Amino acid sequence: MSPARTYRYLFTPLRVGPLTLANRIVFCAHLTNYAEDGAPTARHAAYYAARAAGGAGLIITEEHSTHPTDHPYEKLIRGYDPAVVAGYRRITEAVHAHGVPVLAQLNHNGGQASSMYTRLPVWAPSPVPDPLFREVPKAVEEHEIAEVVEGYARTARHCALGGFDGVELQCSHSSIVRGFLSPAANRRTDRWGGPLENRARLLLELVRAVREAIGPDLALGVRLCGDELIEGGTVLEEAVRTARMVEATGAVDYINTSIGSATSTLHMIEASMQVPPGYAMYVPSAIREAVRLPVVGVGRFKDPLQADRALAAGQADLIGVVRGQIADPEFAAKARTGRAAEIRTCLSCNQECVGRMGLNRWLGCIENPEAGREAEQAAGRAPVPLPAPRRRGRRVLVVGGGPGGLQAAASAARRGHEVVLLEREHRTGGQIVPAASVPSRAELLDLVRNLAAEAARYGAELRTGVAADAGTVLAERPDAVVLATGALPQAPWWAGGHPRVVDVRDVLGGAAEPRGRVVVFDELGFHQAVSVAELLADRGCAVEVVTPAMSVGQDLGVTLDLEAAAVKAHAAGTVWSTDRICTGAERAEGGGVLLRLQHHPTGAEESRSVDWVVCAVHQRPDDALWSELRRAGGDSKARFDVHRVGDCLAPRRAHSAVIEGHRAAVAL
Amino acid sequence: MPPLLTDPVALAGRTAPSRAVFGAHETNLGRGRALSDRHTAYYRRRAEGGAGVIVTETASVTPDDHPYEYAPLASACAPGWRRIAAACRPHGALVLAGLGHAGAQGSGAHSQHVLWAPSPVADVVSREMPAAMEKEQIDEVVAGFAAAAAAACEAGADGVEVDAGGYSLLRQFQSGLSNLREDAYGADRLLLTRRVLDAVRAAIGGDRVLALRMSCDELAPWAGTTPEQAAGQVRLLAPRADLLTVVRAGPMAPRALRPDAHTPPGFNLELCAAMRRAARGRALVSLQGSVVDPAQAQAALDAGAADLVEMVRAQIADARLVALVRAGEPERIRPCLLCNQACQVRDDRNPPVSCVGDPRSGHELEDPDPEPAAPPPPAAVRAMPFGAGGPPEEVLVVGGGPAGLECARVLAGRGLRVRLVERTRRLGGMLRTAAALDPAAASAEALRAAVSSPRRPPPAPAVSSGPPGAPVAGRMRLGLLADWLESECVRLGVRLETGTEATAADLDAVLDRGGRVVLATGSRAAPPDADTGGVPVLDVAGAVARPGLLPADGALLVHDPVGGPVGVAAAELLAARGREVRLACPDTVAGRLLAPTGDLADANGRLQRAGVVRELRCRLESAGGGRAVLRDVWTAARREVECAAVVDCGPRLPEDALHLHRPDLPRCGDAVAPRTALEAVLEGRRTALALAGAAGPAPVPPTGAPAPAVMAEPAEAAEGAPR
Repeated sequence: MSPARTYRYLFTPLRVGPLTLANRIVFCAHLTNYAEDGAPTARHAAYYAARAAGGAGLIITEEHSTHPTDHPYEKLIRGYDPAVVAGYRRITEAVHAHGVPVLAQLNHNGGQASSMYTRLPVWAPSPVPDPLFREVPKAVEEHEIAEVVEGYARTARHCALGGFDGVELQCSHSSIVRGFLSPAANRRTDRWGGPLENRARLLLELVRAVREAIGPDLALGVRLCGDELIEGGTVLEEAVRTARMVEATGAVDYINTSIGSATSTLHMIEASMQVPPGYAMYVPSAIREAVRLPVVGVGRFKDPLQADRALAAGQADLIGVVRGQIADPEFAAKARTGRAAEIRTCLSCNQECVGRMGLNRWLGCIENPEAGREAEQAAGRAPVPLPAPRRRGRRVLVVGGGPGGLQAAASAARRGHEVVLLEREHRTGGQIVPAASVPSRAELLDLVRNLAAEAARYGAELRTGVAADAGTVLAERPDAVVLATGALPQAPWWAGGHPRVVDVRDVLGGAAEPRGRVVVFDELGFHQAVSVAELLADRGCAVEVVTPAMSVGQDLGVTLDLEAAAVKAHAAGTVWSTDRICTGAERAEGGGVLLRLQHHPTGAEESRSVDWVVCAVHQRPDDALWSELRRAGGDSKARFDVHRVGDCLAPRRAHSAVIEGHRAAVAL
Repeated sequence: MPPLLTDPVALAGRTAPSRAVFGAHETNLGRGRALSDRHTAYYRRRAEGGAGVIVTETASVTPDDHPYEYAPLASACAPGWRRIAAACRPHGALVLAGLGHAGAQGSGAHSQHVLWAPSPVADVVSREMPAAMEKEQIDEVVAGFAAAAAAACEAGADGVEVDAGGYSLLRQFQSGLSNLREDAYGADRLLLTRRVLDAVRAAIGGDRVLALRMSCDELAPWAGTTPEQAAGQVRLLAPRADLLTVVRAGPMAPRALRPDAHTPPGFNLELCAAMRRAARGRALVSLQGSVVDPAQAQAALDAGAADLVEMVRAQIADARLVALVRAGEPERIRPCLLCNQACQVRDDRNPPVSCVGDPRSGHELEDPDPEPAAPPPPAAVRAMPFGAGGPPEEVLVVGGGPAGLECARVLAGRGLRVRLVERTRRLGGMLRTAAALDPAAASAEALRAAVSSPRRPPPAPAVSSGPPGAPVAGRMRLGLLADWLESECVRLGVRLETGTEATAADLDAVLDRGGRVVLATGSRAAPPDADTGGVPVLDVAGAVARPGLLPADGALLVHDPVGGPVGVAAAELLAARGREVRLACPDTVAGRLLAPTGDLADANGRLQRAGVVRELRCRLESAGGGRAVLRDVWTAARREVECAAVVDCGPRLPEDALHLHRPDLPRCGDAVAPRTALEAVLEGRRTALALAGAAGPAPVPPTGAPAPAVMAEPAEAAEGAPR
């Protein structure tokens, strides 16, 4: 079926004020941490240009701060500083080269900030501390509000000078405008507080001032929060009223939407795979019924068909696809040209994109090793060009078909090498397969599907069910070998060989089937323990998660999975116990386990009489083949290079395997 | 006769002008991975102040090591070392380049490469699994140390410091916790350190200083390096080094290196003395470990426990430390509070190093120097009486908390006649409340001593690791800043009036006769955001100062929506008074905001040992009838707990009555927005400098005054832009 018939609306043009968009796919504003010294960089330009080249209909850059009192995170673009204009030009020229319009988002984060970088009081409507930053802000005075408005106008002028096709006001999830709109944050009794007409006054002032600054020829958008999901906050009915007021100004060209507040309900703004796709579309649906302006809908769109259906259902006029286009910059182009099956689908794992933002690191992607590194690549025809290989057409043997091996095979084959991949199991995917067997983690399997398909597409031969030793490797007469042999579970010292103390991998892989009372012991602080606990609770086990750490699932907070995990655990009756180490596992009657614990802050000894103990603990590298090759051929290195990637080097997360697999392939 | 702290000391044929060391520490002042001009200004100021040895921020010797974003990389540091050496040389300080490799304690997040370590043992904190080093990687590290050392000396450094301390690959090789190797490096765990020292010595020669920072107690005796083992190691290593800095830190306790005031100052004294004996004079030995008082440093020298003393935080708090000791005015040294609030910067947000008491630290290039170049002699100041019979004040400061005191101090230092009025009978404002929140102040006498206004509070009892539940004096030191500000104001002739409430009419009178007024009126309690009609609700300040207001029996609910040090300390204090205490906070741990200070884990441990029930992840919904209803912030599940009274540690509101009367007057500190002592001091200082018409490299207008030069033009903005 031709794309035109597959997608009825997705690739139809749309007028947005002075602009005509070629299609309905928007690369909406999101933080990247690519800024340096408060200025946009070449990295920004290459990053946006790659998505423009990949067919996006509209690009909206990350926020540009409008005032020196606003600096909530380190790598913020200081839009109020005229020095940014040169960087703006670099971005707009790079994007315009692909015929795609690009808007700049303007913002002042208001009370959702700290004074750490500014050394100035935080500005907000009222002295109500933000739930995340917890710094009491200064209630802005009249002259300061005037200064905020002038800051927006000034920044908008910089954007116009910098060649942007327009600007968007972020009034939605982390903004002084959100603060003024929200009854939870705005406790003022003057003309800026109280009824919605007063709370919306700042927004309307900004619309007036910014439109005046950019003139009639540029687009102006307003992004509104449809539901703050906090007590006493903005709800949908008010958001719809605000949207009507915005439209009534006659100065605005489109309305963008979002849901949640960045500093209290971020997990609903950048939802992980635990939240159903399209979860936020009730917001644009309601607004679109109330206004005639084009409305943008967002919320875990990772498939072009899903976007087209939302358009067909009249939920929105434009669809924001952010993570989908981070993972695959050619998302739109592949869909348009009938190659949707080739899209490297986003997992919504949040590990390297969202997860790195909160940690003040540059934006990346678990399955796109080029994300954030576009500027480092030489310019080429492909949107994500690869450097020329050192020697083309070498015979490359990859041992191991987990994410590291698959990525190595895909990248090497793509670069013209003759690639054979040997996988011991009967399917590829390595540890991703059991990890994705937990229902709430199923989308993780897209990583394997994407990589295996890419490897096959570029001609790599994937042989499953083949265990490899040094002899196998030598028999293949390779020019280069990539070892991606993974990791092996290891029983902790305190397990004492107890048969019912098993590893997470034993349970997820089906080798062990715990029943009854189960302790899941977690040293990793990520999905492993919480996933297996969820699975076992679903099967009717009484589960307690025990960790030596101060809290369960420390790193799940980073990927915005913690709150959902806690809610599910609570619903299932799963208990979370912290600050406890295991000191022994004795055999109890009936084959069960008497598990000895110590509460380390107090030294109190405890025990649990359970049926099974499941361990989420560090694995050891499966480096037998590496050692064998080193030993066997003292001179084998002379005959072929051997690279180790992923867990067989050091057991870590999938991103390390993918990036090392790619790097090994590039180095061939 | 033992040497004085201010005496010179010879190292590798070079002479350090004093025995105070400004040791290597994270600053986040770097530009990328290079040392910046901000580094130069930061170190220069300490050299000017009399530091004997300055060790620059530890630089990674190989590019695979990237432990934090602005961690210097040796191959990018030569220009920086050259500038720093040139800036410090005129003042005599010896400059050593800190060199290291963090091994398994690094992070692959920045490098996107695997971590290298002796064995595949993941760091307890990061849980990131490293790869075991093979011969190639080991040789690379040895060569990296040698090349970096040669480059540093070539750039003008007087020598280098090799890091085998808290965050270091060399310590990981030395330790049974992290070195499980079966090769020569496992059989001889000191082998790599020896190879590195020998390679560095060969690279720099005998006339440059080779210093070694070494963890001599990993606080994990089951497998970690113990002081006894360390003594043997020191015997072997001392002949290879000129200077040994003794630290204690290990993978289980990385934050034990620079702990806050809950650990008594000078905690390494005995360890250092033992290592000095083991060194047998082959290397000089430097004492590290919360030494912030020159008297304690001198006592260590007197006792022969050390030859030099590392005083990092003390010289962050007051860069003039050695100079003031030399001038015979040690009481003028701004005290280090050991609060760790602004100087501990191993934090993903990359805050630049700074100090609560001296916010100019780390901001030397942006902030003007608030101290006059040549202060008028005290006698001259006292010869300018005013008030009754004399000329009236030029500036009236309303409020005697840290903001008002700092403002008055800086104004008086610039020769203005200042009167400060304080409504209560004591100076220090919320610093006194914060200091009184100390379980060691649980007794009535101790409490009186802490909250009343003595010239010096009682010295903090040296309690560190008593029996479980024993009170630990962790917060009394906060009062030292109030004392210092007060005594400096007195010295500079500020007229201090306590128990005096300034009225609107008083302000008008001062303004009418041409005087200026500053509002530093602080904060007031805000009612908690919950339905608490049914039980007594006490603001934390009131509950501390007047324990009699609390009901005599029943469980107390400490309500801490902030998740900060105040709620934790209040719970500890009330528990130490024998009360049954629940601490309710919205996070998965108590005292979440303590993380940067290094006290987070310790605080949660202390609370649990003291029997405080932590009600985590909850919001107070209502209280009445001896019960409180708490609601889980995520699941919304409600639970009821006993509650005779609520002690509220929630956010406060500005005390703004006088501001509403005269909105045009400059304000500073909590009167603008209730925050911490750092913002109070910073804004008090800025307000004073603005009033005194000070000009600096980049003057910053006071808050409350109309907008800063925010809308700067390009050239100007580029110059003023930090990093």
